[in-house]
Amino acid sequence: MPSHLSRRRSIRRRLLLYLIPALLLLVVSAAALTYFVALHVATYAYDRSLLDPALDIAANVTTDANGTRLTMQEQAQQALLFDHEDTVIFQVRSPAGAIVIGDEDLDGPPDVRPGERVFFDGRYRGEPVRIAAVRSDTGLYVQVAETLHKRNRLIWQILAAGLLPTLLIAFATLALAWTGVARGLAPLEWIRTQLLGRTADDLRPLDEHVTPVEIAPAIQALNRLFAQLRESNEMQKRFLANAAHQMRTPLAGLQLHLEVLLLRNLTPEVRAEISDIHLATVRAGHLANQLLALAKAEASSDDSGRLAIVDLYAVADRAVQEWVRRAIARDIDLGFVLEHASIAGDPILLSELLDNLLDNALRYTPSGGSVTVRCGCALGEPYMSIEDNGPGIPEAAHGKVFERFYRLPGTSGSGAGLGLAIVKEVVQRHRGTLRIESPGDCGTRIVVRFPPVVADTSTSPAATTSVLGAHAGASA
Amino acid sequence: MRILVVEDDALLARGLTGVLIRAGHAVDCVETGLQADKALRMASYDLVVLDIGLPDIDGFEVLRRLRFRRAATNVLVLTARDAVQDRVHGLDLGADDYLTKPFSVTEFEARVRALLRRTTLPMGAVSIGRLTIDLEAKRIRINGTSTDLTVREWALLELFMARPGRVLSKEQIAQHLAEYDTQLTLNAIEVYVSRLRAKIETAGGVRIRTVRGFGYLWEVADA
Repeated sequence: MPSHLSRRRSIRRRLLLYLIPALLLLVVSAAALTYFVALHVATYAYDRSLLDPALDIAANVTTDANGTRLTMQEQAQQALLFDHEDTVIFQVRSPAGAIVIGDEDLDGPPDVRPGERVFFDGRYRGEPVRIAAVRSDTGLYVQVAETLHKRNRLIWQILAAGLLPTLLIAFATLALAWTGVARGLAPLEWIRTQLLGRTADDLRPLDEHVTPVEIAPAIQALNRLFAQLRESNEMQKRFLANAAHQMRTPLAGLQLHLEVLLLRNLTPEVRAEISDIHLATVRAGHLANQLLALAKAEASSDDSGRLAIVDLYAVADRAVQEWVRRAIARDIDLGFVLEHASIAGDPILLSELLDNLLDNALRYTPSGGSVTVRCGCALGEPYMSIEDNGPGIPEAAHGKVFERFYRLPGTSGSGAGLGLAIVKEVVQRHRGTLRIESPGDCGTRIVVRFPPVVADTSTSPAATTSVLGAHAGASA
Repeated sequence: MRILVVEDDALLARGLTGVLIRAGHAVDCVETGLQADKALRMASYDLVVLDIGLPDIDGFEVLRRLRFRRAATNVLVLTARDAVQDRVHGLDLGADDYLTKPFSVTEFEARVRALLRRTTLPMGAVSIGRLTIDLEAKRIRINGTSTDLTVREWALLELFMARPGRVLSKEQIAQHLAEYDTQLTLNAIEVYVSRLRAKIETAGGVRIRTVRGFGYLWEVADA
């Protein structure tokens, strides 16, 4: 895995990581721009209004023998310098720079030529002020200064008016990004629920049309993977079918030839040896069947399509012909107590289940014993059970007998220990439960319970018509 | 009897052919489905031993074509026990019996005998040990002594003889014996079977075995 993927990342966090600096830059530059605009506006507007008193004073300063005077009414002078917010002061200096009239706490002006107007920043008693300077016709310097209160207020007002919407947009963007990620990822949640609801066998493609186009490529990739898995499942099934045919046919040929050979006149030694080979061949055939059954039960993927309503009665009915013959050959009384009970299942696997239970029961029940197959519904639960009066399975081994290749210590049968493992696998496929009951010291009862069919379609007349019935009808 | 063996595995084919020839049958052997189909069109066989997995058309197709021609030839299907099993069991493709591979030679011989016996059924009288069943006169003789059977007992006997070696369920028997207007209870079937059994089992050679809780199996001791 590439290193940049090794740490879990959050799309939301990443988005915010990009957005916050960008928005911050936006806000700061907007603030700076607005500030300079506001400063310019305020300075330009208030400088002009500061110029008027300066010009008035310059026009009303006279110099004669008595010195320099302001020929202006006290009232007019006050009106000229009156301001609600700011302190306005003036100063008149002689061309030499000496203070002639006005406030003394103002520094001297820069060089101003007659007729020229100069604005500049200065300080008055420690407070920043804006100063307008002009020169009168008589060469006197006139300065009018005012504090910056209303200028600052205007700047702040302009700044606030300009910046507030920017800030609102920035916060709205962040909020939208936060919720947008959640909304944008909602289709992923849909995919999650779709996939969570599936069994491992369900490899149907997801519908890419219900998701946004941005997610469609991911869905397509998933669907491609599903298709590949389906194909490999199919290949596995084909392989199993081929393997079944390829393995069993030569084994059947081998067994047949050995049996034909055994019918001849043979010396006891040769007969004993061929009998051994024959026994091994029979076992190999049985084992091949079981291994393939087990693999099939495991690999019966996407069998959701193959699950059908199966009557357990019909499953048992199908087993009758073959197993009655085997039971007779082993001198075991094989009996049936069958009632109709429908489950959702795979008929082939269910036959495999019953075959293995029967094989197991007949294998370990001594001659003269009895085996009984039951099926039906108990307390609304479909079940199938097999009981025998053989040696029974010790309590301690109940958990182990369903393991693969496990054989009870001391058993002499020729089984490989796969039969009950197949049973377990098939039961799991059908979401059923499996129980061993050993009534008393002798005998075994294995009970398989299945979940009831949801839509009750039990005991329809068609389901009760057995295959045997069809045969009999055809030949009658 | 004339038998066709359809099997692509040479080892198995030789074995099957050998067993059948030893039992006194005339045996033809082919390896492919198309050859089998051709052979079945050209000659009439009493029995076909048919493998399902064949190189060209499979055994099911051979069977389907055979039944399409309404040929009554007995068919014993050889299968590997997987998906095929269900089709043989579940869909009635017209196979008369089937054997799963691998199988024992005695089982094979027993099935062949049972199927060939069906072929011989319509011909006059059948003797099994001391029991003679005269299908024309609808009566049985034991050691030459005639024994009468009721209509129901006779129907039961015919049913058993038509399905030798197969377990018949009581439901099936009831269905078969029921007239249009009568419903036979399973208890009634038990009564009929025990009466028939009493009449024929004294002859030996034939036995009606009870399959507990299910039905009956007609067993014939091999003479």
